[in-house]
Amino acid sequence: MGIDRTTELYERFKTKLEAVSGECYRVETAKEAGQLLCKVLQQKGVQNVALLNASISRKGTMENQLGEAGIVVMTDHFREVTPDAHAGITQVNYAIAELGTLVQADADANVDQRLCSTLVPIHVALVSTSKLIPTLMETMATLHRLPRIPGFVGFITGPSRTSDIERVLTIGVHGPKQLVVIFVDEQVEEVA
Amino acid sequence: MANKQFKTKIENALDNKVLRGALGRFGDAYTISREQAYEGYDFTELRENIARVKSYAATHLDEMLDQFEKEASARGAKVFRATTGEDAKQYILELARKQGAKRVVKSKSMASEEILLNKTLQAEGMDVQETDLGEWIVQLAGQHPSHMVMPAIHMTKEEVADTFTEHLKRVNEPDISELVKTARVELRKKFLEADMGISGANMAVAETGTLIMVTNEGNARLTSTLPPVHVYLVGIEKLVPKFEDAGYILQALPKSATGQKITSYVSMVTGATPAYLPDGSVQTKEFHIILMDNGRRKMYNDEKFKKTFQCIRCASCLNVCPAFQLVGGHVYGHIYTGGIGTILTNFLNSEKDAQNPQNLCLQCGKCSEVCPGKLDIPEMILEMRNRMGEKEGLPFTQKFALDVVSNRRLFHSLLRMASVAQKPFTKGQPVIRHLPMFLSGLTEKKSLPAVAKVPFRDVFKNIKQDVKKRKGTIAFYAGCLIDFVYPKIGEGVIAAFNEKGYEVVFPDGQSCCGAPATYMGDRKNARKSAIINIEALEAEKVDYVVSACPTCTHALKDSFKELLEDDPALAARAEELSRKSLDFSKLLSDLGGLTPGGDGEPLKVTYHDSCHLKRKMGIYAEPRKLLSNTSGVKLVEMKESDRCCGFAGSYSIKFPELSGPILDRKLGNIEASGADVVVVDCPGCLMQIAGGLDKKNPNIRVIHTAELLLEKRKKMKKKNKK
Ligand code: SF4
Repeated sequence: MGIDRTTELYERFKTKLEAVSGECYRVETAKEAGQLLCKVLQQKGVQNVALLNASISRKGTMENQLGEAGIVVMTDHFREVTPDAHAGITQVNYAIAELGTLVQADADANVDQRLCSTLVPIHVALVSTSKLIPTLMETMATLHRLPRIPGFVGFITGPSRTSDIERVLTIGVHGPKQLVVIFVDEQVEEVA
Repeated sequence: MANKQFKTKIENALDNKVLRGALGRFGDAYTISREQAYEGYDFTELRENIARVKSYAATHLDEMLDQFEKEASARGAKVFRATTGEDAKQYILELARKQGAKRVVKSKSMASEEILLNKTLQAEGMDVQETDLGEWIVQLAGQHPSHMVMPAIHMTKEEVADTFTEHLKRVNEPDISELVKTARVELRKKFLEADMGISGANMAVAETGTLIMVTNEGNARLTSTLPPVHVYLVGIEKLVPKFEDAGYILQALPKSATGQKITSYVSMVTGATPAYLPDGSVQTKEFHIILMDNGRRKMYNDEKFKKTFQCIRCASCLNVCPAFQLVGGHVYGHIYTGGIGTILTNFLNSEKDAQNPQNLCLQCGKCSEVCPGKLDIPEMILEMRNRMGEKEGLPFTQKFALDVVSNRRLFHSLLRMASVAQKPFTKGQPVIRHLPMFLSGLTEKKSLPAVAKVPFRDVFKNIKQDVKKRKGTIAFYAGCLIDFVYPKIGEGVIAAFNEKGYEVVFPDGQSCCGAPATYMGDRKNARKSAIINIEALEAEKVDYVVSACPTCTHALKDSFKELLEDDPALAARAEELSRKSLDFSKLLSDLGGLTPGGDGEPLKVTYHDSCHLKRKMGIYAEPRKLLSNTSGVKLVEMKESDRCCGFAGSYSIKFPELSGPILDRKLGNIEASGADVVVVDCPGCLMQIAGGLDKKNPNIRVIHTAELLLEKRKKMKKKNKK
């Protein structure tokens, strides 16, 4: 993907995500992503996080960075810790520019990834900028081309929301109340 | 005809200000957000694709089911096919027993509502929690959903707060964000404790064995992630053939349902996934899929209802339905509401259960216009009505009226009598009350037109047709309202075509087009009317047949053909008639329209689209052009110009309580346009709107396009002469 094309897709994604109350950032390296992550979490008053092991977080030594920033990092026993964690940090496989949508599509249908992105009040998703896909239909085709459809594919577009009472929009019902997406330009080894 | 209890339900719903307020506000907001969501997308193409893939699945149902089962099983799912709801319930019950499941969380599943699954499980002592907020509220309140997408739209925050207070044994204030917080906390516990998850699916992909769920709250994700046992209860209509086919539905469903580009969450599950077991280990979960028929196959095997398979349950048909907007979902009496719900109820519950709600359909066709599955809901409801009429017969008075209408001589002499008999009465109302249905819509809100002193068929004989450079002959089909109530419209029609070089003939034997019978489900009388008219009009002998009533045109063009398809000779003649029949403004436009003219007197005009003309025949640009080409006329658009005026054939008589508010909204829009005159192309709409305006704002006139053209051109001639 050319630089202009990537930037255009990123901008499209950002606009769409912000339209559904998500936050969107883009950095060059995984290290920078870690720095940004610490800053964002500190601003939000987050004291502990559930951190899923993934290529960007490893490359960006996020566990260390977060620890140094004074945030407690939990990296396993997610079923126990996520119900009370302040935030969850995951890496997602794709991002759809057309809709501002994140796509979780791990081959192993990772249950921990789902817990870290669903039970927490703040979900931070890391994603490789190169994994931006222009449209929903192209995403469906991309998923279909995988050796097999992952056991769980999750599209996430903004935080959890409901309008079930008097049609008034309320953010954060069962899922996260905030969704932060950090795009990382640097190529790191694949997760899925 | 609707029964008393049903009428009471309607009245109660109408009295419910909260409900009406909520539905009204939502209806307005919905139209806008839906439009915005589809901006930049080709809706026509999208619905073509949906109709294509879904109709393929409908005609290859067994193949799709086998393929789905094979693929899902290969990925570790246990697939069960349930013929009835009872089968499905038994299966789930047994599974729960075997697994020792006591606590169940459910994410929204209309299929489980349909079979009243919760009751069965609760009877077994299980704790069953709906987790979609709206569903949960409704569950706590001991009700059932009133809308497929927004289950609790009928409740206020105060009612929700009271429900929570009562159920959770602590006080809840009517503050929406607080109420949502409470739900989050309460349901979180339930999610974490659950032994078993039950959910529905929005799609089932045959090719890959994938189930797809679309939600905003994230409850489907939690339901499908946390419990170690999961059951999907899936109606067989959810099948799509290929994985990418799901993309089309994913594009359309959120946009049509809530006006979102996409929902917050879409979850696709293929086979058994890992889950935490109570001992803390991660293992593949116990995973079941029930493919449920419960009456669906019968529906798809029925030629006239096969298309229901194309429904993606977006509920946009409800959102735009004028009747639904007034009464909400509970009046429909069963799980599935609105027009599509009535059809589903008919097959998934019973015909009897659909008998009352089917009456609510105005036949305005707004729903088909927005339906991403390309269903013709009114057409199917009409078919239901007809079948019910054939099976059970119509109530005596209705039947009698329709028998009279289809007996031309009797009907016409009654109408003539009425014109004389009404004279001694003020405004001529009391007599009209006893006339056949569609002429007798007496409500407090409306004035009624009197039957004309001289019917058009007699006026016609004295009209001098001045045809220069004769091009051909047109037969004029007047229809009852023009013939006996609004003969002036007929004069306008003749003047216009004379000017275009056509002589107009009026075949005397013509009679009611049979629409009243058709819309009331009396196919026999409708058929009789079809034959009378085909013979009278002898379409073979003229160049065109023109009508100035869209309902009649629809009958001439479409209904006669269908009604007579069993009789080859008549069917051929019906075909010929159909080919030559056109609505006034369409034919006039096809012939090139009138040469620009008019008296130049400024006149602010707004146009009301009649449902039949716009949606059955796609005609809306033509009349506007004819009007704009008339000098002096300034056309201003009203809001919701194509929203039904509430006349809808016999509807205004069957449901004056609904027809009234629908008319009110139309009148409001007319007034807001600031026009002096509202132009219509349907005598039925004319009667309805004129009746309303007479009471509300007599300064605004209603007039048929043909009549306005006549008036403006006559005045022009007079002017020129001076
Ligand atoms: S009938 Fe059409 S509009 Fe109604 S729910 Fe089904 S797909 Fe949606």
